Amino acid sequence: MQPFLKVDQVTKRFHKVVANDRVSFDVMPGEIHCLLGENGAGKSTIAECIYGFYKPDEGTITVQGNPAGLTSPRDAIARGIGMVHQHFVLVSSMTVLENIVIGTDAARPILDLKAAAARIREIGRRYDVDIDLEARIWQLPVGQQQWVEILKALFQGARLLIMDEPTAVLTPQEARRLFQIFREMTADGLSVILISHKFDDVMQSDRVTVLRRAKVIGTVNTRETTKEALTNMMVGRSVELRVKRDEHPRGAPVLEVRDLRAANDFGTEKLSGIDLTVHRGEIVGIAGVAGNGQGELFEALIGARKTRGGSIRLDGADITGRSPAEIQRMGMGYIPDDRFADGLVGDYDIQSNLILGHHRREPFARRGLLQFRAIRDFARKAIEELEIKAPSETTRTRSLSGGNAQKVIVAREFAQATKVILANQPSRGLDVGVIEYMHERLLEKRRNDFGILLASEELDELLGLADRIVVIFKGRILGEFAAGTADIERIGLLMAGQETAGKAEEIS
Amino acid sequence: MGLRLEPRLAPSARWQAVSVAVALLAALAVSALLLESAGTDVGVAFAAILDGAFGGLRTTAKTLAKATPMILTGLAITVAFRAKVWNIGAEGQLFAGAMASYWLYTLTGPALGMALLPLLFAAGFVGGGLYGGLAGWLRSAFRVNEVLTTVMLNYVILYLLSFLLVGPWRDQSSFYQQSERIDRAAWLPDLWAPGKLHLGFLVAILAAVAIHVVMNRSWFGYEVKAVGLNARAARFKGINVERTAVAVMVLSGGLAGLAGMIQVFGVNHRLESDISLGFGFTGIIIAVLAMLRPGWVVFVAILFGGFENGGIKMQVATGAPSAIVSAIEAITLLFFLTAAALTRFRIVWRST
Ligand SMILES: Nc1ncnc2c1ncn2[C@@H]1O[C@H](COP(=O)(O)OP(=O)(O)OP(=O)(O)O)[C@@H](O)[C@H]1O
Ligand SMILES: [Mg+2]
Repeated sequence: MQPFLKVDQVTKRFHKVVANDRVSFDVMPGEIHCLLGENGAGKSTIAECIYGFYKPDEGTITVQGNPAGLTSPRDAIARGIGMVHQHFVLVSSMTVLENIVIGTDAARPILDLKAAAARIREIGRRYDVDIDLEARIWQLPVGQQQWVEILKALFQGARLLIMDEPTAVLTPQEARRLFQIFREMTADGLSVILISHKFDDVMQSDRVTVLRRAKVIGTVNTRETTKEALTNMMVGRSVELRVKRDEHPRGAPVLEVRDLRAANDFGTEKLSGIDLTVHRGEIVGIAGVAGNGQGELFEALIGARKTRGGSIRLDGADITGRSPAEIQRMGMGYIPDDRFADGLVGDYDIQSNLILGHHRREPFARRGLLQFRAIRDFARKAIEELEIKAPSETTRTRSLSGGNAQKVIVAREFAQATKVILANQPSRGLDVGVIEYMHERLLEKRRNDFGILLASEELDELLGLADRIVVIFKGRILGEFAAGTADIERIGLLMAGQETAGKAEEIS
Repeated sequence: MGLRLEPRLAPSARWQAVSVAVALLAALAVSALLLESAGTDVGVAFAAILDGAFGGLRTTAKTLAKATPMILTGLAITVAFRAKVWNIGAEGQLFAGAMASYWLYTLTGPALGMALLPLLFAAGFVGGGLYGGLAGWLRSAFRVNEVLTTVMLNYVILYLLSFLLVGPWRDQSSFYQQSERIDRAAWLPDLWAPGKLHLGFLVAILAAVAIHVVMNRSWFGYEVKAVGLNARAARFKGINVERTAVAVMVLSGGLAGLAGMIQVFGVNHRLESDISLGFGFTGIIIAVLAMLRPGWVVFVAILFGGFENGGIKMQVATGAPSAIVSAIEAITLLFFLTAAALTRFRIVWRST
């Protein structure tokens, strides 16, 4: 059988950075082909080359035997290649139908919405995607917004769908649904290129191509390999998939949250009375599907969101209603879930981002003026210590891969915080190597008697790290489990809002 | 077949230089066509422009004097736009500064002599700063869009000015709406008399240096740019976004106010609505062309000043209608704005 897509010796450079170095692989019709690799290995770059967004410096991309010569996403779509980016490009005030049709040939020369709708319904039925075409995008859960992107690609005639980290923002249920849709598609002879850091996803593919430092290490059949073997190929060494958490006595309460209430930006109540205590030398895990109030909770804790009631104490002092600057000065650090939106100034370089928050202080500023030598020295040390992969400390953070961007935030917050560290989904989109590193650093902070509050959708992560796990659902804490006694089934039920499940198991 | 704009990953310095050069040549070519069609000798016209702008010390000095208020308003816009605070009211803030300094002068009179000057500068800055700060405060405290407020405040101050000029500040001996002539003792001293280059130019240059240092070397500038680039992340890391916006508007308005004071005491020597030829708006164009860099603002403003003077000279030398001068100015502007856009985007030409 002829491969649908053949990538042959493709090289792509950004100035001095080689993002893809003679990358070759092929995708068969009806195949789910996974691209696996560390942060910054070049996965997104090769995907954008295939999609015609970047032009390869060398090498060829062949679609169904014909050299593609892709110079734009339009060309790619014309040849049956569609892509769903991690950040969807939908207009949230428009309907599903409008979003699918705009910018496609269906809108030319005359827009025939009825005919388009009929065709989209037909595609939906075929691949078992059931969605209301008249719903507005903002009304849909993330999982369904992604379906809209997929439908749009299929509507434009995609035979190959590129998905860049599609499950990073999905609940486990949504992810399962997504793979069902993939299977319907591949049964029909369509292909999928899947980029993901989650082994749950990777193991559901047909073949895996592993990239390391811009090069292809090899392509393997998924059925003939294991998680450990893949990790080895990817990182070049074996990685502890489970961290070692030694016993450590917990101290006095350092973060006490009582009956905390807050709303989101639209005034909808998102926190309905949160009670929570974190002690020194303790990691408290918040289990829960994203969007159940984690973001609002963290923002309220750092003082960036107005509370509607309740109190927050940091090391005994009432910090309710204080400003982010004050709260940080009192020792709180925050690692947000959306790195580029909340954690970094993307157009600032690494060194400028590393001092953000301490930029008025000695040694970084003196008499109002920034001290660039001190800033540079600090940045160089952080880059070396955390092995941030970047040409220099003056590299803009926007061009960093997800993992390296996260390291910049971790370096900054760990240097600034003195008592409490908050981390919201800190391992989202990171490769196993970086996750391992971050877990080690969190445990080190625990040994240094920090109180740590960690929210994650990955139960394995919480079970491995946390001393206690609480479950958050629709702005309430539903249950609390000690690390040893935590029952995955029960936590899972609570995460889905089945309140009765955990009550009996509660500890104090 | 179609044209499309794609963002450039990283605009290179070489490409920027090339695009500016191309814009200049294109502007010259189109202007030449225009002059040719109006029956003007192109060579003579261009020579006159150049001569009128920078031909000799005296004319150059005049050009610098013309550029002075535009340097200051360009800086005013630069500071605001860096924080993504869209100050369209530099014109109004310029008048506020002019009026505040004139008011101080009416209180003290010229008796203080040179000792009055620093006070007048301060009054100009404070007047413009308060007026700008008002829009900043409305934005931060009540989330009122600053584009609307600054534009409307432009009108408010002009009406206030014409009220004062027909009322309490009116020059009784004159038919025009203008104040009495300011006493010579309170004029800005000339740096170089034959070219009428006054102290204001030096102040504008010092302001440019100061703004450069503030924006690029101080923590305040660091915060301003951080707020402009990612207000959310800035807020999360303890920067007071609202207070920064107010501070930015005060500084921006203050710079524009200085321009107003300088026009009153250095050029017009009285308060009248003619002290600004739309410098507050030209400042926006200058700041954008200068890509919000203080050093470039000075350079671009001087070119603008040169164009003004050169245009007049060309008219005299060739008898070309004044509309042609305006047209050439606009054409040049369009090409430069295009060039500025093209350093950030590239045009992709393709057939489908
Ligand atoms: N637009 C760009 N300009 C400069 N460098 C870039 C650009 N895009 C990517 N890079 C660099 O190219 C390399 C590969 O990046 P890429 O985004 O392809 O990695 P990735 O494998 O997708 O990583 P992640 O898993 O973190 O998403 C990185 O070193 C990155 O810093
Ligand atoms: Mg990527």
